[in-house]
Amino acid sequence: MPVSLEDHVDIRNDDDIIAARLKGRMLAAELGFSAIGQAMLASVVTELARNILDYANDGELLVQVSEGSGRRGVSIIARDRGPGIANIKIALQASYSVAAGLGLGLRGVKGLMDTFDIISVPGKGTTVTTVKWRL
Amino acid sequence: MSDTPRDAQREYSDALREYLARPNEPALRRAYEIGRLTLTEGLGVLGIAALHHQALKDVIPEMSVDVEESLLIKRAEEVLIESLMPFEMSHRAFREAITVLRRMNERIEEEAKRIAHALHQEAGGLLASTHLALEELARDLSPEGTERLSLVKALLDQMSEQLRQLAHEIRPSVLDDLGLVPALQFLAEGVSKRSGVPITIEGSTDGRLSSTVETTLYRNVQEALNNVIRHAKAATVHVIVTRETGAVSCSIRDDGQGYELSTVLASHEERGLGHVGMRERLDPLHGTLLITSSPGHGTELVMHIPIEC
Repeated sequence: MPVSLEDHVDIRNDDDIIAARLKGRMLAAELGFSAIGQAMLASVVTELARNILDYANDGELLVQVSEGSGRRGVSIIARDRGPGIANIKIALQASYSVAAGLGLGLRGVKGLMDTFDIISVPGKGTTVTTVKWRL
Repeated sequence: MSDTPRDAQREYSDALREYLARPNEPALRRAYEIGRLTLTEGLGVLGIAALHHQALKDVIPEMSVDVEESLLIKRAEEVLIESLMPFEMSHRAFREAITVLRRMNERIEEEAKRIAHALHQEAGGLLASTHLALEELARDLSPEGTERLSLVKALLDQMSEQLRQLAHEIRPSVLDDLGLVPALQFLAEGVSKRSGVPITIEGSTDGRLSSTVETTLYRNVQEALNNVIRHAKAATVHVIVTRETGAVSCSIRDDGQGYELSTVLASHEERGLGHVGMRERLDPLHGTLLITSSPGHGTELVMHIPIEC
């Protein structure tokens, strides 16, 4: 299945999560990530997309090749126009929810990726930008 | 495994069956969600192993022979990886949390050091100045006044002693200056004096250990000695520090009344005996605590902390 190097998926329902996972996995495969690396990116996509559905109803994921200082990697950007996260620090803490306590959700994403940035404006939405380099 | 829910098994077997026949993303997603659910419902990684194993037993015999075995194994692995990924995330988060806890502990000790220093040096200095001012005042007083003033001085001395004690308890400077064994000797002297129970400190750390390790051992011995004095009715206590290759251990043995470990561990008294606190201090350093005790035979606590060389 051909995959363009740059792609975005609207996240409105569960089927979109599957489509986004496939994009993440295939791009990772194209860059030479191992089966585990590919699964990690699929998981990251799943958690970010789930976050969008749970908290913002809809949004989009961008799955792209990222290049910098001689390396390549997969960058995933999750964008929504939801209510925003009032306190990002708390959202990343174990006490925030059952899932966060177990290290899933945004915490899980952060742990699997090499870079993790989050910008959230209350009332405007949230953007998570994260990269995993191919070592 | 009996504690894996039946529908999780059916769901996993279905996902595996589907994926072995023809690799597809929805099947992997299902495997991922089963792992996620298994994790959030408190079932362990062994539960996934059991699900996977049972699913293989269910599905493999049904497979038509036209798919190569090595390909089947590879596909089965991909399903397993998916279902384990939530556990990987969780594992990473806990590892990170331990690092954060360790750093937080170090900060608390630093803060304790600062407060102890302020109490001892600054408040102590002010007290000394107060003494001098009183001396000067005494010269202008009648004999009766001087007598009343000596009462004030006695109170000030008490206060000074209390400050010194408090500063020491918050952070014994001897621990920073001289190391673990001298600090333990100092601690043992104080506890012996208060309780009348002789305490011996033996062994050596063979050079200084990291501040975190020394502090952890010191605090735990402090807590253990307090427990012995409060509960054990011991005649003597022996503390032995041993440096091993790649580790340090410390044992605290008393000849007191001992206790039935099972009953103490079953009730929430364990908290009262301080073992929870001791374990919490040891955990970030990957240390272990071994307790041996039985009624009439005293108690021995052994702490073991690995040390990076």
